[in-house]
Amino acid sequence: MRFHFQQAVRAFILLAFSVMLFKLHFTGEMTKFINPKYEGLSQSASVLFLILFIIQTTRIWTIKDNSHHHHCHQDAHDHNCSHDHGDSPFNTKKLIAYLVIVFPLITGFLLPPKVLDASIADKKGGLAVLSNQKSENKQEEKAAANNNQQEDPVINEELVDLSRIEDNVYTNEEYEQLIQQLEQSSTIEMNDNVFSTYYEEMHMDLDKFKGREINLKGFVYKEDGLEQNQLVLARFLITHCVADAGIIGFISELPEASSLEVNTWIEAKGVLDTTNYNGTKFPIIKITKWKVIGEPKEPYLYPISVKVL
Amino acid sequence: MYRIVRNNIIEFTGIMIIVLVLLLLSLSTSFKISYDIPPSLLNLNTIFLSILIEALPFVLIGVLIAGVIQIFVTEEHIQRWIPKNKVLAIIMSCIIGALFPACECGIVPIVRRLVGKGVPIHAAIGFMLTGPLINPIVIASTYMAFGNDFKIAGLRMGLGFFVALMVALVVSIIFRGNQLKTPIHTRSSHTLSKKESLSTRFWSMLTHSIDEFFDMGKYLVMGAFLAAFVQTYLPAKALLEAGSGTVSSLSVMMGLAYVLSLCSEADAFIGASFSNIFPTSAILGFLIFGPMMDLKNTLMMLSVFRVKFVIGVLALIISIIFITIMLVQSFI
Repeated sequence: MRFHFQQAVRAFILLAFSVMLFKLHFTGEMTKFINPKYEGLSQSASVLFLILFIIQTTRIWTIKDNSHHHHCHQDAHDHNCSHDHGDSPFNTKKLIAYLVIVFPLITGFLLPPKVLDASIADKKGGLAVLSNQKSENKQEEKAAANNNQQEDPVINEELVDLSRIEDNVYTNEEYEQLIQQLEQSSTIEMNDNVFSTYYEEMHMDLDKFKGREINLKGFVYKEDGLEQNQLVLARFLITHCVADAGIIGFISELPEASSLEVNTWIEAKGVLDTTNYNGTKFPIIKITKWKVIGEPKEPYLYPISVKVL
Repeated sequence: MYRIVRNNIIEFTGIMIIVLVLLLLSLSTSFKISYDIPPSLLNLNTIFLSILIEALPFVLIGVLIAGVIQIFVTEEHIQRWIPKNKVLAIIMSCIIGALFPACECGIVPIVRRLVGKGVPIHAAIGFMLTGPLINPIVIASTYMAFGNDFKIAGLRMGLGFFVALMVALVVSIIFRGNQLKTPIHTRSSHTLSKKESLSTRFWSMLTHSIDEFFDMGKYLVMGAFLAAFVQTYLPAKALLEAGSGTVSSLSVMMGLAYVLSLCSEADAFIGASFSNIFPTSAILGFLIFGPMMDLKNTLMMLSVFRVKFVIGVLALIISIIFITIMLVQSFI
């Protein structure tokens, strides 16, 4: 019998990856890394790692005369699979390679995940990327939506249903209703599941929503160029994983703005208006009531997806 | 007798490893060092791990497919399937890539295995470039990110396909041989594996996948770390202020696409968020370049191909995308 140290190390690493992914799911920390919609993918990765671990354990021990029976080692010179099978002697280069692979395991187990904060928002482009997107090509669509609205005006009963939709997947009609709700309600509730949709919809025609009341939650983000009494109430929108987080949020005006620390989460009520910042038209919220809250359990927003078929 | 010893010892070692991992797990939960670490490092770590967690399922799928190719596809198959004519081979590979729903993290091991099996390098590159760029999920997410407008999605696919064709064509003219780092002795090796039973072949497919994972893993980790580092410490804001003209804005967006190393399924939303500061042409550069080549991908390719080849292909992709977009920008 021969003990293959490298094969044992590989088995260990495979299992550690499986356990790390499992642990992140189990503790719920996974939502701090990826959009919950894709949790299934990393769960299956965890299971796959476990299977690969089981397979790998069989390679740790070999009977001496059996050790070269691997199919592409049949003839010692006919090595045609161009990769390392972990049988070659151990050296510094390999040590580094294993250390690199182990590195995310160490940081993953030891360091707590951190919710992205204002410093990242700043790196991501701040207010410049936060202004109104693609306002033109949505105009027609909006006109169509308006027509629909006149056809069936009764929608408010559905309010509860819509906010409970799972996985953020909406059918086309549900989506239309969502937009109608936004257009008809006098107080806009920026709940987490509709935040990004409403946000986009409002940016298509800022004047339409002028004067409406709005309730929202967000963290404080500040940038040079904002007035003393202004700050940005921002959120991160995660499409897939936190690496692709985009920042969305509203410039807000309140007298105590300068005393509020960056990264403080607040819940606010205010009135929508518009303003000019660096030559671009922005919505602005004149805050009437606000309070400091703790960081929410789910700090990120996820875009809703509309079933096309 | 040997068999019994062997079976038990495998189980014993397996259990030992499980115990070791669980021990470390319990240690790690009771021992959190968070207070003395600067928040920017924690940000870096979170972004790094999230890129990795996002990529791992796709890499695993990639190495499994690579394992399947290694064991079940023979050189003779490849020779029969791929047209002798270079142009035909390139067109075919680009179309197969477009039909094949791959992600850029998973495609490198597949391409490596294909080249190892004798697929000509130009066909492999065509496949590698269209695979992550053109697939249903990417089309759908681009369509949605740009306000349910098909124009950007269509341009992304169309121009992307054209660029992939051109790059593959130039590669076929400039580069010969398989360009692999470790030369492969092409000898028909699987005359012997045909004698083996299906279960043995399946088993060796899985062990091949494990080895492939460890080959790719270190480059994936380094790439993810670099991309996370750039995101945490390099202000995109400074870049944004630099780009105002058509040429500079296109360069800025392509640079961003390269260093951010986003998954092709998610980058449309990021691209869309820039659409008010940059012209459509620059956004298209971002959307087309990102899936074809990025920081993470380059490192993975360096593990497979010669350095000169990787740099050559990268330069080709950049220049062809640049020229194409500059040419069509007046029409969009």
